[in-house]
Amino acid sequence: MKGFQGLLSVALLIAIPLGTARLSLAASKLNIVTSTQDPSAITRDVGGDRVNADSIAKGYQDPHFVEPKPSFLLKLMKADLLEVVGLELEIGWLPPLITQSRNAKIQVGANGYMDLSRFCEILEIPTGQVTRAMGDVHPLGNPHYWLDPENGRRMAKAIQQKLAELRPEDAASFAQREADFERRLTDSEKRWDTAMAPYRGRKVITYHRSWPNFAKRFGLDVVDYVEPKPGIPPTPSHTLELINLMKREGIKLILVEPYFDLRTPNAIANAVGGQVVVLLPSVGGVKEVNDYFQLFDYDVNLLTTAFAKTK
Amino acid sequence: MDILAFLAAPFVASLILTGIHAYLGVHVVERGVIFVDLSLAQIAALGTTMGVLYGLDPHGHGVYWTSLAFTFLGAAVFSTIRGHQARIPQEAIIGICYAVASAAAILAMSKSVQETEHLKEMLVGNILSVSWTEVRTTALVYGCIGLFHYIFRKRFLAISLDHGHSGEHGYSVRFWDFLFYASFGFVVTSSVSIAGVLLVFCYLIVPSVGAMLYAERIGPRLAIGWTMGTLVSALGVYLSLKIDLPTGATIVCTFGLVLIVMALLRGVILRALENSAPEPAAIGPQETGLRT
Repeated sequence: MKGFQGLLSVALLIAIPLGTARLSLAASKLNIVTSTQDPSAITRDVGGDRVNADSIAKGYQDPHFVEPKPSFLLKLMKADLLEVVGLELEIGWLPPLITQSRNAKIQVGANGYMDLSRFCEILEIPTGQVTRAMGDVHPLGNPHYWLDPENGRRMAKAIQQKLAELRPEDAASFAQREADFERRLTDSEKRWDTAMAPYRGRKVITYHRSWPNFAKRFGLDVVDYVEPKPGIPPTPSHTLELINLMKREGIKLILVEPYFDLRTPNAIANAVGGQVVVLLPSVGGVKEVNDYFQLFDYDVNLLTTAFAKTK
Repeated sequence: MDILAFLAAPFVASLILTGIHAYLGVHVVERGVIFVDLSLAQIAALGTTMGVLYGLDPHGHGVYWTSLAFTFLGAAVFSTIRGHQARIPQEAIIGICYAVASAAAILAMSKSVQETEHLKEMLVGNILSVSWTEVRTTALVYGCIGLFHYIFRKRFLAISLDHGHSGEHGYSVRFWDFLFYASFGFVVTSSVSIAGVLLVFCYLIVPSVGAMLYAERIGPRLAIGWTMGTLVSALGVYLSLKIDLPTGATIVCTFGLVLIVMALLRGVILRALENSAPEPAAIGPQETGLRT
């Protein structure tokens, strides 16, 4: 057996490096890993079949907390480019994964590390000191910026330029696809703006502070949150305050992200005669939403239906 | 909405839980299988997670029946292992079941859509958001189970209090053991969906233990247990609103504090009773109902 084992090891030692070398030459698709499904959806639109884009966190998960799994490390080890949402959204789980991957290309500051927040309009940047007593506040601003289609445009442009930098031979293809993305986005925006126009100024409650960019773009007034402070679960007295607020101001809708438990929102909605709407903050929040356009289609549709019903 | 209206449903729910759990707790403590209910509650929670993983609505009926199926399975296992005077301590098996059920629930949730919030819910529940419909359903189910236990109370008491000798009474101990655990499982499943694993455990054990500090006989124990459960529920719900803390966990901590107070005051109260009654009280420090 010993002789055979030795022969097998030598054979493998020769075959594997040769094999992988041949594989990487043949398929020069860029391996892109993103933190959430929104950058990966846009990247797939811009990169087309010249890229493999995959995300670590899924759209139905809370992007602040992701349980690490072995498959994440495997993805990161093979990545040429890592796109992160930034603004400390992933600070709870991504940094150790990046270090453990030992992939020099994607370390912070390397060429294959891309922080998309640098290219976008950021809201709710805190002034003054930020402490833990204020809850889970993001000290650099609200990281849910992809929910404004204008930021989607900025992300697509930045991703296109980065892809062209990493794969100059495909630059023309990326540029053309990105132009196509922007054109489709402009058309869709007209549709979304028209649909949401009648409801500008409507007051809503949301569970978490995921919606400032969305609300600003579509003219919604987010009056309060089910969470008493960001990241803190609903407390009895805040829930009572919320019920009284909604009754006083005639607010009927509670927008809840899909990864929160609906018990408390349902109880509040029952008490005020309102309605809970499970709104998706990310691509992949439900099976049918697979790209950036479908995300807004889904959300706008859900909202307009709910607004129409709750005059 | 004023505070009382807001707290009404949760408080009534806690009263219902107190009623059935204090009674079942007397049995559980007498049988000496304290961790069975924690384990069974966790198995019920695992059943719920499996239902959610399968795609059922987390607060719907399908999930309840799944949870119940798991609980009955656990009940069957626990009722069979009791009979054996085995080398392996029963508590070891129960503890292992608890650990594995907890971990299995975490694994199931990692594959599902509603992860961490649900896991936290499992532990302390969300009694504050209980609906009047749930309260009515629970009252109905527990009423039936209570009736069942009242009708057959002699059998149940016999097998709990005197397990070694109850075989002599002529009825199948195994069968009545299983009925006990099955009805117990029904209660645990419903309670866990409202109050969570920790709170269910507290309602079962703490009133019974508090009562054991002061009484030997079942009647007085039930009375003390029910009173304690009611007071702690009221205090816990009120405190959670005043200090703005999660209600379930507050009630658990209140149980702990009240139990400590009851233990500290025991000497004082019993001496007072002794002095006022001609015959000495039957309870001394070495006779606190410890069973061999």
